[in-house]
Amino acid sequence: MNNPQQPRLTPIDEWEDEATAMLDGVEYDTELGLRMARDAIRVSNGELSDAEFHEKYHDEVLAEFGEDERPTKPEGFDDD
Amino acid sequence: MTNYGLVIDQERCIGCQACAVSCKQENNVPMGQFWNRVLTEGGDKIDTPSGGYPEDGGSGSLDMQYQPTACQHCENAPCVKVCPVNATYTRDDGIVEIDYDKCIGCRYCMAACPYNARVFNWDEPEHMPEEGTGDVAARPQGVVEKCTFCSHRVDEGLDPACVVNCPADARIFGDLDDESSTVSKYINEYETDQLLEDRGTNPKTHYISGEMSPGRPQTSDKLESELDDVSPWSDGTEDVPSEASGSDSSDSGGGHHSIEGDAVPHVPAVGSGGDD
Repeated sequence: MNNPQQPRLTPIDEWEDEATAMLDGVEYDTELGLRMARDAIRVSNGELSDAEFHEKYHDEVLAEFGEDERPTKPEGFDDD
Repeated sequence: MTNYGLVIDQERCIGCQACAVSCKQENNVPMGQFWNRVLTEGGDKIDTPSGGYPEDGGSGSLDMQYQPTACQHCENAPCVKVCPVNATYTRDDGIVEIDYDKCIGCRYCMAACPYNARVFNWDEPEHMPEEGTGDVAARPQGVVEKCTFCSHRVDEGLDPACVVNCPADARIFGDLDDESSTVSKYINEYETDQLLEDRGTNPKTHYISGEMSPGRPQTSDKLESELDDVSPWSDGTEDVPSEASGSDSSDSGGGHHSIEGDAVPHVPAVGSGGDD
């Protein structure tokens, strides 16, 4: 293994920088990806419900990707 | 319902990288990519201890621990929630997988994964030999890939490759919903941690630290549930301490290797084609 695989531990604050770097150059909305990533963690730890998360980003996801197939879709949610 | 999970005994792990290598081979992981990594908690470089050698009759302070890391197959997986095309999904048995035909390479899942467990095929994946290795088809350029708990093996009643090939018996795979499984008993009886528990992701990979477990000696490469006779190591009498208090790390001489504070196990993302 060479240097690029050098293990290290990254504080969570710096992890957001890493997430930014991961999305750098992606052909989709980088800022949307970062916001969704941040809120997805909030869903995991119970600060936000699946339904709230889905509704919060539905319009933006639809606009960016032309579809929204996330499994967080609440029952009876109106795609239109 | 089956709910697969993994226990890794960090007291048994010797940092040999056999899990990382066998994962690469079994899953046809491209050159320069790793699904399964053994991080070093110690010095600045891999396999470099922190501290110093004994000098002038002193005891020295050399220390190095290993942190095997891969997809944690979280119950509340952020990667699943952000995927706009539902390419990343959770199987009925709890394994988080990627449908590579659906993946559009937006990398939102990579940003959402707190464990940095996913890799992206920036270029056309290269394999050695060119025809690939293992029993899994190569993934195309432009998709994200990661550990699958060797679901192709699990579906055949076989343990993941990293489990079978761990010479230290440090990896135990099984059904977390089965109270009689070794993974369940070890989680109940030993001091275990999940990475970044405060994230609420509820990873299905649990780490034993403080007191060494008996591991799971590999009598075959079959899943525990596929074996007719799994004694003596999983009958609940010889492999699990009778008292949880026996896990006091201060008496064991072993270090406590859980991730402290808000640190994230991390290997910087790299493009394909690096040295393996």
